[in-house]
Amino acid sequence: MKKRKKADVGDPPMCNLIAMVDIMFLLLLFFMLGADMGQRELAELVLPKADQVKPDDKKEKTTDKYTTINVHHKYPGGGFSCPINESGGVCRESDHWMYAIRGREYTAADVLPRLEEEAAEAMETEIDPKAGQLLSGRKILIRADLAAPFGDVNKLIELCGKAKMYKIEVAAAQPPPDEMGK
Amino acid sequence: MAGGAMDEDNPVAINVTPLIDVIFCLCVFFMCSFRFKQLEGKFDTWLPKGKGSSGVANATDILKEVRIAMFWDKAAARTIRRMGTREVRDDTELQTLIRDSYRDLMLANVPDAPVTIDAQADVPWNDVMKVVNMCKREKIDKIEFALGAPPPQ
Repeated sequence: MKKRKKADVGDPPMCNLIAMVDIMFLLLLFFMLGADMGQRELAELVLPKADQVKPDDKKEKTTDKYTTINVHHKYPGGGFSCPINESGGVCRESDHWMYAIRGREYTAADVLPRLEEEAAEAMETEIDPKAGQLLSGRKILIRADLAAPFGDVNKLIELCGKAKMYKIEVAAAQPPPDEMGK
Repeated sequence: MAGGAMDEDNPVAINVTPLIDVIFCLCVFFMCSFRFKQLEGKFDTWLPKGKGSSGVANATDILKEVRIAMFWDKAAARTIRRMGTREVRDDTELQTLIRDSYRDLMLANVPDAPVTIDAQADVPWNDVMKVVNMCKREKIDKIEFALGAPPPQ
């Protein structure tokens, strides 16, 4: 066996970097896997908490027949600011609340054509006997901010109905286990 | 920043400095953009097929449902909840009232009785979802949102 050379007092100190590189790789892996790069997270909103919600089915969302609509307050910037919302209050300016579909923002006046486009992509093949017309099989998930006006969410549900979509779901956050049942 | 070690033992010296620099940069990027995911779930609110809006309920219909009216008090910035003429502030009290009213309707042989949430447009979505959650706790599946303005206070 080869004997290791004794370090001279005059040699510069050397450090073994392998352990550090290993830890750095592990950290990198943890943050990469934990990062959520999902499109729906682009909308900064806080969901209301509800302990009775059905858990989210991630597999279902990867299919084409799913549309997420975020109902959120306009973001500050570009000359726009809302002191009430920024201070955590309940803003009731009707033009401050927007619908967002795949990163694009809409108002109640212009969202219907987009909903009709989404509906047309997944029309059912047979006429529904109850409705007496062709309906869309596309599922809609409404993610509304907890301070969003109920009227805006209600209007959106009504517009989905007009666009022949009936499979509507509303999102809520699951509270942590210690808050369950409160 | 980083340097090679044990040059004499290792015949092929690899300079790991750029590798560590890149890993540091990536780590800083992911650490700054990291946010813990919030667990999400959903409530099914499928629309009835071929029914549409049935308009304002008449007096006899109101007796066949549990109706919760919600108003937004702008001055106090809070939601006022009413069942009948009674104002309900406490969540536990509201849940008990929903449970009792629903049970009464079941005993009165109205099995399809819905819980109707009749909220003003300004009421925050959070307060509406709270009531929906209470209904789900009581295993009530038929929940309806009333269209239009609630009756005057």
